[in-house]
Amino acid sequence: MLPTPEVKDIDYDKVYEPSEDSFLLLDCFEQEQDYIRKRFGNTSSPLITEIGSGSGIVSTFFAKHILPKSVVLTTDVNPHACQTTLNTAKQNQTENETLRLDAAQMNLTDAIRPKAIDVLIFNPPYVPASEVPDIPKDEADPTWLDLALLGGEDGMVTTWQVLNNLQTTLSQDQGVAYILFCARNKPDEVAEKMRRQGWQVDLIISRKAGWEVLSVLRFVRN
Amino acid sequence: MKFLTTNFVQCAVKSCHSSLTSFPLQYEECQLVQQEQDYNPEFIVHMLERLDWNAIVQVAKDLGNESLPANKPEDLDPIMEDSQAVLRDLHTLLVETQIVEGKMVCKNCGHIYYIKNSIPNFLLPPHLAN
Ligand SMILES: C[S@@+](CC[C@H](N)C(=O)[O-])C[C@H]1O[C@@H](n2cnc3c(N)ncnc32)[C@H](O)[C@@H]1O
Ligand SMILES: [Zn+2]
Repeated sequence: MLPTPEVKDIDYDKVYEPSEDSFLLLDCFEQEQDYIRKRFGNTSSPLITEIGSGSGIVSTFFAKHILPKSVVLTTDVNPHACQTTLNTAKQNQTENETLRLDAAQMNLTDAIRPKAIDVLIFNPPYVPASEVPDIPKDEADPTWLDLALLGGEDGMVTTWQVLNNLQTTLSQDQGVAYILFCARNKPDEVAEKMRRQGWQVDLIISRKAGWEVLSVLRFVRN
Repeated sequence: MKFLTTNFVQCAVKSCHSSLTSFPLQYEECQLVQQEQDYNPEFIVHMLERLDWNAIVQVAKDLGNESLPANKPEDLDPIMEDSQAVLRDLHTLLVETQIVEGKMVCKNCGHIYYIKNSIPNFLLPPHLAN
């Protein structure tokens, strides 16, 4: 088993604490490492983007163990998460193994160039709620963490924004996206809709976590 | 943020995406720090293939570096000695140069984005949000 990155000195009142969903993504990538390495071979330097990096545990794991010859650019709306992501990457590098990772404060991938992202990773706010909360106006606001959880109708409002943009965001030939769902997001229906729009969708891993069933779907162009 | 990242980001305003002037952003009042990173020549070679070289030259100029060649270096091979010096320089520029503070200005709409503590902030105020 690949070691889980260390996360420490994090204020979990402000930044999403690594949880069952985060760990499912780590296991997903451990399982997918051959597929991913084969896809990117030795002749490319892929751009990895994790939307909503939170503590940074997933991106750090990916940069360290899955594709060390990549560059990672994470995004999060939460400024505390951006800072924490940088810290987590730093804490997990060794003297002769630095991680190529930048963190940007950004909504989804709004400021990333079209068709630039080779691997897109998203553990979204997936809890069904009456609405997606507004972005707080200042850093001291106590409600940043709400953005980590609440996903509006079916918990899918934010995730659909990403899925509907996938054609534009993912690189043309190699692009692949890994997105996490809970059962209440109706991932089967989502997969069907995306297949009808020309995507190949595969269930990579699924697990019961408390009373939730979490799963990760992989999206590539047909 | 790394110099390299300037090649991957542009103005977040949707109506700027179709404009040719919204990329690269213009870098102003930037504070740079050199941060030692592993040197991986293969990474640089393959990264170079996908980079927009004109944008690299442009941003380097913004940051006060006018020494880059106008055309993208080609046929670099990590085992050739004359390539090695070029690859080292590119590594220093792209991966080790960090912009820790500064401003990024969209040449199309004029919006100013700030970099603080190495973190660029691309959140838009509500009236510009997409
Ligand atoms: C469920 S947490 C996942 C955190 C981390 N990736 C993990 O797996 O532990 C969701 C994250 O997405 C961020 N987020 C929510 N809406 C976002 C948006 N529109 N753009 C970017 N990030 C967003 C939240 O701030 C939070 O850090
Ligand atoms: Zn603009």
